[in-house]
Amino acid sequence: MKGYHDIAGDGGSGILAQVAGQRARIADGLAGVRHLVAIGSGKGGVGKSTLTLHLGGALRARGLRVAILDADFNGPSQARMAGVQEVPFVPPPSTKGSGMAGGSRKVPLPRTGNGIGVFSMGSLIPESQALDFESTAPGESHTWRATREFALLGEILASFEWGTLDLLLFDLPPGAERTVQYAEFLGPQTSFLLVTIPSEVSRGVVARSVAALSKGSNRLLGYVENMSGYYCRDCNAIKPLFDSPEPAGLEIPCLGSVPFDPELARHCDRGIPFAELPESPVRQAIDQAAQRLIHVLTATERSE
Amino acid sequence: MKFLCVPCDTAMKLQTVGPPERGSLSVVYSCPECGYEMAMLTNAYETQIVQSLGVRIGPGEAASASAPGTTSKCPFPGMIPSTEEARPVQGGEPAPVRWTAAAEARLANIPEFVRPMARTGIERFARERGAVEVDETILDAAREFFGM
Repeated sequence: MKGYHDIAGDGGSGILAQVAGQRARIADGLAGVRHLVAIGSGKGGVGKSTLTLHLGGALRARGLRVAILDADFNGPSQARMAGVQEVPFVPPPSTKGSGMAGGSRKVPLPRTGNGIGVFSMGSLIPESQALDFESTAPGESHTWRATREFALLGEILASFEWGTLDLLLFDLPPGAERTVQYAEFLGPQTSFLLVTIPSEVSRGVVARSVAALSKGSNRLLGYVENMSGYYCRDCNAIKPLFDSPEPAGLEIPCLGSVPFDPELARHCDRGIPFAELPESPVRQAIDQAAQRLIHVLTATERSE
Repeated sequence: MKFLCVPCDTAMKLQTVGPPERGSLSVVYSCPECGYEMAMLTNAYETQIVQSLGVRIGPGEAASASAPGTTSKCPFPGMIPSTEEARPVQGGEPAPVRWTAAAEARLANIPEFVRPMARTGIERFARERGAVEVDETILDAAREFFGM
């Protein structure tokens, strides 16, 4: 009797071909992107989204073409922070004779004032609503939801106009296991930058993410220690936030330490771009981290 | 998943897919050798897993993404408020904005899961400019205004 591998095709639906087609559409959509960088942690509340946006701003200020994909579908924050909550997705002009089928045109990305393209579910769903999916198995989302969210990520990568970019930054959701799932979904061409804060709890969780990611084929660029003290404007000094004077001790390079700045947090809530941040040690720290990120990415490129 | 007609030792071919009924798909296969037919009846969990992968079950689905399948054309139909829900129509709400056929055609060219909120945002843009109709001029003005 024949076995599974003795039979070509699946008799009709071509499920594997459909999956291959999805992958091809994603690859086609990202063909013009030089560097794919996922910014994750494993730990929640360490400032991944804020850091992603400001790193993007610092990179943009250096003349690089940057876009951000807010991959935290259930807690999207980039739309508000980037100031694109109210920006509609506008269909591009029709191209006669293009042979495009319905729904197949790429959608232009909303852009920040300084020209960073941003996709965030926060531009699609009001903050008063939660992301929801139609389901034939309601009440059992633990069995299918993660799969569906990754299908959504694939659809977004294939549907939006990423164009020619120096960097596409993925703002990942929390969860060490989710970080690994994103690594596997995005493939080895995506590098990872991890974010921690100077607490033992956070460092422990991020160390687990490092261990988990190290088993795969994605390059770990390094980490940024966020909230490494807070910046007091009155005394123009960095003061401690956590009682952890020792270095993080993660077995990957440190690309920077960024103090917390209440002014910067206010800028995020109002969607004010990085370029408009006042000069401060915090802005300098973000800029230095961006510079080191470019350096490691360029070094990676040379070594390949 | 593949099906084998054991007496003929031949792979069965997909014939028809019934529309989902209470979460179950009815997928009929037949043996090209002896003509024997069998139906695979999925439970709601199995149907959901297939839908979650963003693929469709049906003849020729791999060749044509727009072929009629067993699931909605939109892989995420429940993800965002429906177009009708997004349109304000009651008293006290802004008046409905008409769409020209050409503008509708442009909207239809973007992925379905983005359309409802695209429509809502563009109608808001039109109302803010005193327009009662969305045409291609309004769409182009929105693209220019938002730097797209």
